Amino acid sequence: MTRSNTTAGPDSMITSVGTYLPPWGAARRRTPGLDEDAVTLCVAAGLAALRSVDPADVGRVVLVSRDLPLIEGSNSAAVLAGLGLRADTEICEVIGGAPALLDALTGAAPGTLVIGADTSPAGAAAAYCGTSGAALTASGRITRSMPVVTRDAFGRRADYADPRLVRVSGLGASLDQLDRSVPIAAAAGLAGRDARSVCATEPRDLPTEGPSAALFALATLAELGQPAGQMQRLLAVEQATLGLADLGQGEIIVQRDERAPRPVPSGTTAPGSEMSISLAAYERAFDAKLRLVAARCRRCGTLAYPHRYRCLGCGSEDATDAVALPRDAEIYTLSTIHVPVPGLVSPYTIVVAELGDSGVRVTVRLTGAAAGSVGIGDRGRLVFRLVAVRSGVPDYGYAFLPDDDTEVTA
Amino acid sequence: MRRVAMVGAGMTQFGELFHLGIKDMLPMAVGEAVASVDKGFDRGDIGAAWFGELVSTDGFASGILADSCGLLDIPVSHLENACATGNDAVRHGVMAIASGMYDVVLVVGADKVRETSTRTTFWDWMGMTRDSAWDFPLGLVAPANFALHVNRYLHESPATREHMAMVAVKNHRHGVSNPKAQLRFEITIEQVLNAPMVVEPFGLFDCTPQSDGAAAVILVAEDVVDRYTDRPVWVRGVGLGVDRVMHAHKRDMTTFPPTVKAAKQAYAMAGVGPGDIDVAECHDCFTGVELINYEDLGFCERFGAHKLVEAGETSVGGRIPVNPSGGLKAKGHPPGATGVAQCVELFEQLRGDASNQVDGARVALAHNIGGPTAVSAVTILGTARGG
Repeated sequence: MTRSNTTAGPDSMITSVGTYLPPWGAARRRTPGLDEDAVTLCVAAGLAALRSVDPADVGRVVLVSRDLPLIEGSNSAAVLAGLGLRADTEICEVIGGAPALLDALTGAAPGTLVIGADTSPAGAAAAYCGTSGAALTASGRITRSMPVVTRDAFGRRADYADPRLVRVSGLGASLDQLDRSVPIAAAAGLAGRDARSVCATEPRDLPTEGPSAALFALATLAELGQPAGQMQRLLAVEQATLGLADLGQGEIIVQRDERAPRPVPSGTTAPGSEMSISLAAYERAFDAKLRLVAARCRRCGTLAYPHRYRCLGCGSEDATDAVALPRDAEIYTLSTIHVPVPGLVSPYTIVVAELGDSGVRVTVRLTGAAAGSVGIGDRGRLVFRLVAVRSGVPDYGYAFLPDDDTEVTA
Repeated sequence: MRRVAMVGAGMTQFGELFHLGIKDMLPMAVGEAVASVDKGFDRGDIGAAWFGELVSTDGFASGILADSCGLLDIPVSHLENACATGNDAVRHGVMAIASGMYDVVLVVGADKVRETSTRTTFWDWMGMTRDSAWDFPLGLVAPANFALHVNRYLHESPATREHMAMVAVKNHRHGVSNPKAQLRFEITIEQVLNAPMVVEPFGLFDCTPQSDGAAAVILVAEDVVDRYTDRPVWVRGVGLGVDRVMHAHKRDMTTFPPTVKAAKQAYAMAGVGPGDIDVAECHDCFTGVELINYEDLGFCERFGAHKLVEAGETSVGGRIPVNPSGGLKAKGHPPGATGVAQCVELFEQLRGDASNQVDGARVALAHNIGGPTAVSAVTILGTARGG
């Protein structure tokens, strides 16, 4: 029953784990912001995992989610851009839950970034598999059908609503088919009661239940540390489908991008025409807008954001060099829009913010804080967010996240 | 260059003119302008016409003016320059005459903002004026463009929301006697400050209403002015200034550089300075904008605008009355018509015929700012022919 051919072998180790939770909702049940979707969650978690990693070392990205915004379209290009990874990086989108995420992790070659994202409850986590850290070895897998909850390609949900059936004939029957000789240290994809029933010791609550839960569990195990000489077994569950993996010795860097939860702000929206899009304009702006890259004049050095044909400083029309902009930002001016606007939820705040000492300002929306809760001179950073959905196209860019003393920096 | 005189001016009522289409409003405004010419006016004298309109509600703009007003045998051009359209249309008329090409020019401005639901107005009008990829999806609605300036202005200057409210109170008071004004009622400081917030720092009474309306002026060359009137109003100076379009590229948002540039050109052409202005119609689409205008037009020192409005110096009866018509705030703001209608008001002021007359007005200034605060047009009119 234990697979031996899917482990990455001794070369591949979990080097770092990054987590991200939206600041909205309850402590263990977060709600995505209106400017967040699975793509922006993936980017936030991925950037946390990559804080201590050279992006040039990332050769492959695996996204595991059941909530990616597009079935057709381009989630992956937005994720790579948001992560600042080259467009020639190998990337795949996996539809799956926590067991699928464990598969991706245990099968990852060095240089792989595995990201799991969930929108309800919301959270995302990522692991970078490199050549240092701790090994994670697959130790069991079973796929059975117990579709008590279904969601079709159009988002229609059905719930059979029989938790006992799932517990007994789903989880229980599947567990019986796996090797139980090693106690389970953490269980992803299970609610509190079921997690307690399978774990050897009192498990930590996890903020999500889908694919990212496997990584949140891994982060928890890494932070707790482990008894010398022992490996720790991780169970990943999705309905009646299970995966087991064993975490070996070694230190994993855990980077959490999590803030204290706050109530979801209420807002109003006006009925009416939605925002249209020009895909030609979208494509021309894509790299600058999603990668936060300015153009530096080769003659006078002036930075232009977005890129422009003629230099703001000296009027040169020569070629420019792409330069990544700093992300620390200070509000120069702002306004909060209270009037209902079709396609947007009011109130919302727009800020003009100055980036680091670059002299470059951007006009962006406020995120992660209630509209109107910031002022001129406030500091923060730019983060990757959904600006709008226009004619069915998610339009990503950056938003201003104010500094906050509730930030967890593990 | 030939000197240019204004010999006729007229406008429709401003307001929610649901019962009138653009093809009704245009001949109404032109008819009133024609009727105002002292010695009578033959439409056959018109050599060319300019039509300022931001959004065409019934299609092809210059054709609509020509067709609805019977101007089928002359050149008619459409002009759009954001909220500076009106005074820029006047400027084009002036250039056409000054150049010697035409002796008589008709300048018309109109817009029909309330032709569409307020629900769709947001995006219909924003699509015109915002960068499609960058600014448009942010929800940078029209008031927000100005709010970004005014919030920074309030941060750096001693002015407060109370000073903004004083502007609203003044312009509403001015508008009461104007039969063409959309909002003919007085309001109090408390009403302004307690009104529902629209876009911070603008409450409902800090904002112009949405308006339909049309306005027209008749410009003639100095050589032929005597045929039409013995008391012409002279177009002494015109100017147009622009700026970076994206707010992120504007280094100092406590000022509108387009206004400073347009005013500098117009003052130089007219041979006058801010101290010579007896009455002004300036672009008060939002109250705080009028305060910034005082400084940009040179009516006071930088960050001194609050003192002007505190002392009542910009009220009728004060040192330099601003917006005796009620301004955009009370008279209304159909963008294409606004600048032309300012000239209609000042034409009447300089001839002593205004409903809210500024005594002894001899030099007057009209001003627009718009197009994400990136374009301004200024017109200076006077009773004297000038040098």
